[in-house]
Amino acid sequence: MDQSEIDALLAGGGKTPKKPKAAAKAPVADPVPAPPAAPVQAEPHKDGSGHVISELDTVTSVTERESNKVMDQLDQISQLVARQQQLVTEMMRHEGAQSQGVQKAIHEVMSASKEIQDKVFEAMDLMQFQDITRQKLERIVHHLRQIHDYIVDLLGTGLKSDAERPSISHTIAQTGTTPDENKAHADAVIEAFKSQKKG
Amino acid sequence: MKILIVDDSSTMRRIIINTLSRIGYTDVVEGENGKSGLEKLGQGGVEMIITDWNMPEMDGLEFVKTVRGQNAGIPILMVTTNAAKEDIVEALQAGVNNYVVKPFTPETLKEKIESLLG
Repeated sequence: MDQSEIDALLAGGGKTPKKPKAAAKAPVADPVPAPPAAPVQAEPHKDGSGHVISELDTVTSVTERESNKVMDQLDQISQLVARQQQLVTEMMRHEGAQSQGVQKAIHEVMSASKEIQDKVFEAMDLMQFQDITRQKLERIVHHLRQIHDYIVDLLGTGLKSDAERPSISHTIAQTGTTPDENKAHADAVIEAFKSQKKG
Repeated sequence: MKILIVDDSSTMRRIIINTLSRIGYTDVVEGENGKSGLEKLGQGGVEMIITDWNMPEMDGLEFVKTVRGQNAGIPILMVTTNAAKEDIVEALQAGVNNYVVKPFTPETLKEKIESLLG
């Protein structure tokens, strides 16, 4: 998150943004510099509810963008590992590498390389948490809107919240973060539906 | 085989595309909501659809109903956070062939795709 985003998040809060800790560290060379990030601006708000909602919208935009940066890095690692595997395969055919000891070492390198590739894919799959967290935040925003509008109705003063995103999850309570934790449940419902349809 | 992926989360689309490429499906088109999904479908060649449910402009359920009005046979897999029994039943009634709850493993996506194509 850069300073403009921190400023956007704090807009209207009346607090001076603290310097991010990472800024104090010595810069680390990035082999592939990321393109400059477009600042994410919080939308103007008419009331307290709009402010909270725009802050949460900003948080979800930022996390999605940052998640894509992590995915870019993982893609690059994956490509580098694939290149390494290609080079090692070529090395195996070299006449100087035909001794038993060298071949054994090469096989170990290939095996470690495959493990890295698997871990990279696993890390990519785990990035699903971003989408799930976003939808959980949308659910919180939905409840905040309801509370806000209820108070406006009750007091007979103030502005109601802006139109809501048209489709948000009905309930996120059953959605966890462990891959496939709802698979057995979903499969059972599908099977029951299909059996009922046949019958 | 050309697969259409409809999801408003670019991260999620990347994850699905990565998983598909690992199991041999590399011909992919993307839509960020039901409306753009219909546009991509209209361009032709799509043989399977993987769609999210909760999306702006046109959600996955409306998208599935619209697709089913035009194309009864195309396999549709819904991949969503909606895990409630009534949601799964509603999606199946709308015309979804199979259903995956996020977060999923690549094995599950592979299993569901193969069962739809099998």
